[in-house]
Amino acid sequence: MSLGLVLALLTAAALFGIGLYGALSQTNLVMIMMGVELILGGALLDLVAFWRFLHPGSYPGQMFVLIVMTVMAVEMAVGFGVAIARFRARGSVEMEEARELQG
Amino acid sequence: MTGTPMSPLQLAFVAFFGLAAVWFALVVFRTSSMMRSALALLFSQTALGALFLALQAEFLGVLQIMMMATEMSIMAIFMVMFMMDPGGLGQMDMTHQKRLSILAGVIAAVAIAAVALLTPWGAPATTVPSPADQLQGLGRELLGRSMLVFETAGITILTAMVAATAVAMPAFERRRER
Repeated sequence: MSLGLVLALLTAAALFGIGLYGALSQTNLVMIMMGVELILGGALLDLVAFWRFLHPGSYPGQMFVLIVMTVMAVEMAVGFGVAIARFRARGSVEMEEARELQG
Repeated sequence: MTGTPMSPLQLAFVAFFGLAAVWFALVVFRTSSMMRSALALLFSQTALGALFLALQAEFLGVLQIMMMATEMSIMAIFMVMFMMDPGGLGQMDMTHQKRLSILAGVIAAVAIAAVALLTPWGAPATTVPSPADQLQGLGRELLGRSMLVFETAGITILTAMVAATAVAMPAFERRRER
């Protein structure tokens, strides 16, 4: 097994774990989104490492990386849309106070 | 396939940028200043982009760094707008179910690391295509077999932008439009 592949996969595992901790433990919507970004960052690293060490000659792996980047951008856009609506309605983006997303 | 194998120096860069990405990811949730959190996330994602460069995925590395620089700058602006204490001067605790979250994070990381270490991945590729060949291959993939997926991703981003703007519009304006 390649040392580079192992290093990349272990880094991705650590990023995923830290991101999951952040997404579950934070009460602020923007901080929760940061956790999700780290989780997706871990997934990106896994994809790039698999492409580099297992299938460097085929490009669906790189294509999948672009799709995950799209998911990151969509998550940010929708998340900030919800944050603005919530802030206008309640003056806060604390998710402890949110029982519903009615606005 | 033309290209160069991974050198020990590249391996050292993979390890260094990997450590940097993980370290800054930890800082995101350890500092009480939200601005520092946003900047730490920016550094973590930039280190990830540099790691892609060390893994010889040049286009994806540059794309990651450019995207994250923009995304995290916007996030920092939103932090200042929305947070009661963006500088963290009041030392507010904005966490809940901390033990459960740490447990979930550690279990997930250990499980993924175990899969990474125990799976027989087979012989790794020693060389990768040159950056020009990679770009050409990715372009052919995007405009060939994966074109529908690529177009769908574009439409999804556009839809999300319109939907996010609609959700963020003040409620009274929406009522007046009806």
